[in-house]
Amino acid sequence: MAIIVNLDVMMAKRKISSNDLSEKIGITPTNLSILKTGKAKAIRFSTLNKICEVLKCQPGDILEYSDE
Amino acid sequence: MREKLNWSDMRSLKLSKLLTYSLIAMLVVAFVCIPFISRWYISISVSNSFIKSDAFIPVCVMLVICDIFGLAAANALRKLIANIGKSEVFIEDNSKSLRIISWCCIFVGLTFTVFGLWRLSFFLGAFFAFFMGLIMRVLKNVFEKAVSIKNENDLTV
Repeated sequence: MAIIVNLDVMMAKRKISSNDLSEKIGITPTNLSILKTGKAKAIRFSTLNKICEVLKCQPGDILEYSDE
Repeated sequence: MREKLNWSDMRSLKLSKLLTYSLIAMLVVAFVCIPFISRWYISISVSNSFIKSDAFIPVCVMLVICDIFGLAAANALRKLIANIGKSEVFIEDNSKSLRIISWCCIFVGLTFTVFGLWRLSFFLGAFFAFFMGLIMRVLKNVFEKAVSIKNENDLTV
């Protein structure tokens, strides 16, 4: 996949657990795991907005494009 | 009509299940009674045909083949209804069941076409079987698309 999800890196930087993050952004831990492992096919703007709000970061910190 | 009868989805599903099991039972009984059915059909049918020989054996063979395909289709239908009962509608298994039903209808149509040489009226049965096969095939395509949309939706966070 060309889009890489760096959510785990950002979570490590902010020292937040998966359970805490999923609770704060209002998605299930299963869905967060899907996002973290790169299995997700799409992300809603509302989810991205909440992630950025909780982790205090920009979408570009979480998502990265790679042409490989 | 549905509201008037006050039927829940579950009751409707139960009726479908009951009808499917009845169909399976009828097909099993028909399988056992094939020689009687053949003899009865030959006695009442008009013998317009391309092949003028005795139609008893061909009709028996045709009924055996159609019964087997009918049982395979009814079994796929049973699985489909069981999955719907478990609220698993748009899954690969269900489109596979529809695919089996579609192919069974098409093979029954082919069988009727071949045995139409002994009784022309079988061509009418072949037409209906092919038509049903086509409808099931389109339904299968719709289901496959729905499964892919559902998978994508499930993986949207």
